Amino acid sequence: MKHKFSYKRCGFIITFFLTSCVSNSHATTDDIMASISGDMAYFNEVATATKQNEHYQPYIISVFQGKELEKLGISNLKEALRLVPGVDMATDNFNNQTPIFRGSNSLAYGQSKLFIDDVPVNNLFFDAYSEYLGMPIEMIKRIEVIRGPGSKTDGVNAYAGSINVITYAEEFEGFETNDNVVAKYASHDYRMGGFMKTYKSKDLKVFVDFYYQQDDKKLPSGPDGLSRGALGANNIPLSQSGDAPLWLKDYSLGVNIKYKDFSIKSRLLEHTQGSAYGINLALPLESDRLKLPSYYLEAGYDKEINDFKVDIKAGVKYDAFDSYSKLAPDGLVLGPSTFLDGIYGEHYALQRTLYQSSYLKYSGISNHVITTGYRLINEETIDMSSKLSNRATGDVALVDYTNTLPFFDADAKRDIAIFSLQDEFSFNNDLSFIYGFNYEQTSYQNAGFEPRISMVYQLDTKNIFKAIYSRSHRNASWQEMFTMNNRARVGSSDLEPEKVDAFEVAYINKFSNDSYLQTNLFYLLNKNQIHNSTTDPVYKNIVDTDIYGLELEYKGHISSVDQLYMNYSYVTGTSNIRDIAKSEALSNVAHHLAKGYYIYNLNPSFSLSGLAYYVGSKNRVSTDAREKVDAYTSFDTALQYKNLQNDYTLTFSIKNIFDADIRYPSAQNTYSQDYAQERRTFLISLKKEF
Amino acid sequence: MKKIILLYLTLLNIAFAYNYDDVLLKAQASIFPKIMLLDKKVEDKLIRGEIVYTIVYDKYDYNKALEVGGYINETYKGYFHKYKYKINFVDVLELSDKTEASAIYVLNVEKETQKVADIAKKKGVISFSYDIGNLKNGLMFSLVIEKSTVLYLKKENLYNQKVEFVDSLLQIVRFTESDNIKNKVLLNNGSEFDIKYAKTVIDIFYN
Repeated sequence: MKHKFSYKRCGFIITFFLTSCVSNSHATTDDIMASISGDMAYFNEVATATKQNEHYQPYIISVFQGKELEKLGISNLKEALRLVPGVDMATDNFNNQTPIFRGSNSLAYGQSKLFIDDVPVNNLFFDAYSEYLGMPIEMIKRIEVIRGPGSKTDGVNAYAGSINVITYAEEFEGFETNDNVVAKYASHDYRMGGFMKTYKSKDLKVFVDFYYQQDDKKLPSGPDGLSRGALGANNIPLSQSGDAPLWLKDYSLGVNIKYKDFSIKSRLLEHTQGSAYGINLALPLESDRLKLPSYYLEAGYDKEINDFKVDIKAGVKYDAFDSYSKLAPDGLVLGPSTFLDGIYGEHYALQRTLYQSSYLKYSGISNHVITTGYRLINEETIDMSSKLSNRATGDVALVDYTNTLPFFDADAKRDIAIFSLQDEFSFNNDLSFIYGFNYEQTSYQNAGFEPRISMVYQLDTKNIFKAIYSRSHRNASWQEMFTMNNRARVGSSDLEPEKVDAFEVAYINKFSNDSYLQTNLFYLLNKNQIHNSTTDPVYKNIVDTDIYGLELEYKGHISSVDQLYMNYSYVTGTSNIRDIAKSEALSNVAHHLAKGYYIYNLNPSFSLSGLAYYVGSKNRVSTDAREKVDAYTSFDTALQYKNLQNDYTLTFSIKNIFDADIRYPSAQNTYSQDYAQERRTFLISLKKEF
Repeated sequence: MKKIILLYLTLLNIAFAYNYDDVLLKAQASIFPKIMLLDKKVEDKLIRGEIVYTIVYDKYDYNKALEVGGYINETYKGYFHKYKYKINFVDVLELSDKTEASAIYVLNVEKETQKVADIAKKKGVISFSYDIGNLKNGLMFSLVIEKSTVLYLKKENLYNQKVEFVDSLLQIVRFTESDNIKNKVLLNNGSEFDIKYAKTVIDIFYN
């Protein structure tokens, strides 16, 4: 049977065929476009999380990659932070080391916050994080340092700066990291061993890191604070010089678990160190120790539902001040008692912090992302004991003074509630704003309303401008509020928060995808800075400081096989001391800081690097007759060999090659010769990846 | 202070080379092959029935080129959509008119980008650059991580006779500054109109 040719049928078939083709073609194009959009959204997320787009963010930030720092022979977090523009290190008689950002109150802690994988870890006692500064660099994927108050939407106030340490628990699809083991040996008989391991199944990911490290560091010090009358004029002859015990022993176990939208971040750090320069400024014994343990656990729930993103967290953190030490030398006379065998003391205060936060992000309004939420914090001392040699008889055996003469307020407690609201407004592709505020109330003095506004303008692909105004504060630390019955420090619960109004502008010139020069100017109006002294040990809000300066940061290359990083910062200003109505130049602050490194990749296996630091001289407070703290320059070098076949890396480095005399300033009437730091040292590290 | 200003000005004027950013490399390795598929004339560029994706590198960067190739293979597992593909690794000094290429991706090449662009133009294939700075030398696309991921296209480097992109691609590209039409898009017939209108038209068309 023959089919009759039909124009109608033919037309239908052709129309059907063409429609199918066009429709298939559209479907294909749609699929590809959807796939590209998905890729771009994914890489946006990775870039934002890993701060690849740092130059477009509304704050002044420097980012250091752990593997690059390993190439430089940098051993731990503290050494890495020395590289940050505008950051200098300081210490005290506990050897409580702390980074000082832009010359801000060098005698206080808590002006900067440390986060480990976004969890705040400053201890409550000092509001410091000295116990984490020894964290080995091999455990650190990236360090993000924001100078200035920075972002506050998560309810955590950064005052002068914030440091976010990202461990290898962070992982994105396509950017997986290897498990590894590491061992290190260095001067002062430093030994370290550690590993990282990731377990994965369909929806579950468990990341574990562990390290152990110890050394027997001791450095020549003195004469100690007795020479300046720290324990009375009659005891000045008992002053000693000798080796300060600065040894270290750490165990740390971190466990991060991610299951679908739930996460748990936890860490257990057992940190023990030598008693350094003595609680009461008398040189302690070699075996005397200070424990600063830190344990935290944070549970989180993170979910995106259409235009909403919810982020709920709840956590608990424990930290303690646990000291056992000889506090004063043999023969000390205190009131009617003579302590023939000296004074010993055992002080213990255990703190617990509970917190819960909920934040909601809404992106349903065109060009706006609105974030709002709260953070509730409960801080409390949950255990305290205070033991001393017998104050009445002078007998050396310890007597329990927990109830009669405590060193600390056993009922110390503070509640904090923070509410925040923020809008990110993209005016167009080139211009965006962030504005919002934090409002904070505490059970003591309130910080109140703190606004923030910032602008980022991208003139073209190479030129970016930023302007930021923000107000922030630092609540007084436990030590500043609740210490008692101590000759060196007396707390006050009436302290107002330290406050800062920060004005910052920045210009970034991007030479290429990864070479840039960042220039920024800042002006900081600090109010209510908390101070005390040996002559008046009560902590008070007595200093206002105006600080201004500039920072330059360059990263790039001279050739395609090297990396060059340099920064310079200048800071100056005045301190207005309220109780004596006097103004003076900033003290204990280096006006000039310059740092830099150069890595030359000899071939894919070998790299050679050099690191240099210059820290300018520092003025003393006007009543301190000592000479300025001297400027210093130090150089490090490292050679790294990477075996590409067997995935192991061997690094050898020498630090402070020319044996520079590096000293961190001591407070007036304490250790008159300041705190001497390490001279030339070496480090060998071996890392094997799997 | 004078020394500081001098150092600052010197830094601003030194010509610096590159290093590789892993996130950017992977973003480019993921997205560039898909861009190629949005060329309506992609079939004209097949070589023996398959796409030849040529990665051009400087001699120091051979391992980096292999890394990019490895990531592409891991992502695409042998096929760019329905087309089988082959990755061709070519040292920039050995690149010539005879080099097989359905598209060219150029890593960090300091001096020979003009030559690469000329060869891509002569062959009528799409060229992608790791560094946006090389678009001024005649390469066509680059991808940059700014506040978000941005795909840049150098309008002048479109070879209209041999490459014809689907209109929807123009929704997401941004033109380089020298085109002086940052917010405008280019249609296949060479005319331009504001991207917000393009978006509206495309939305209507697809919805």
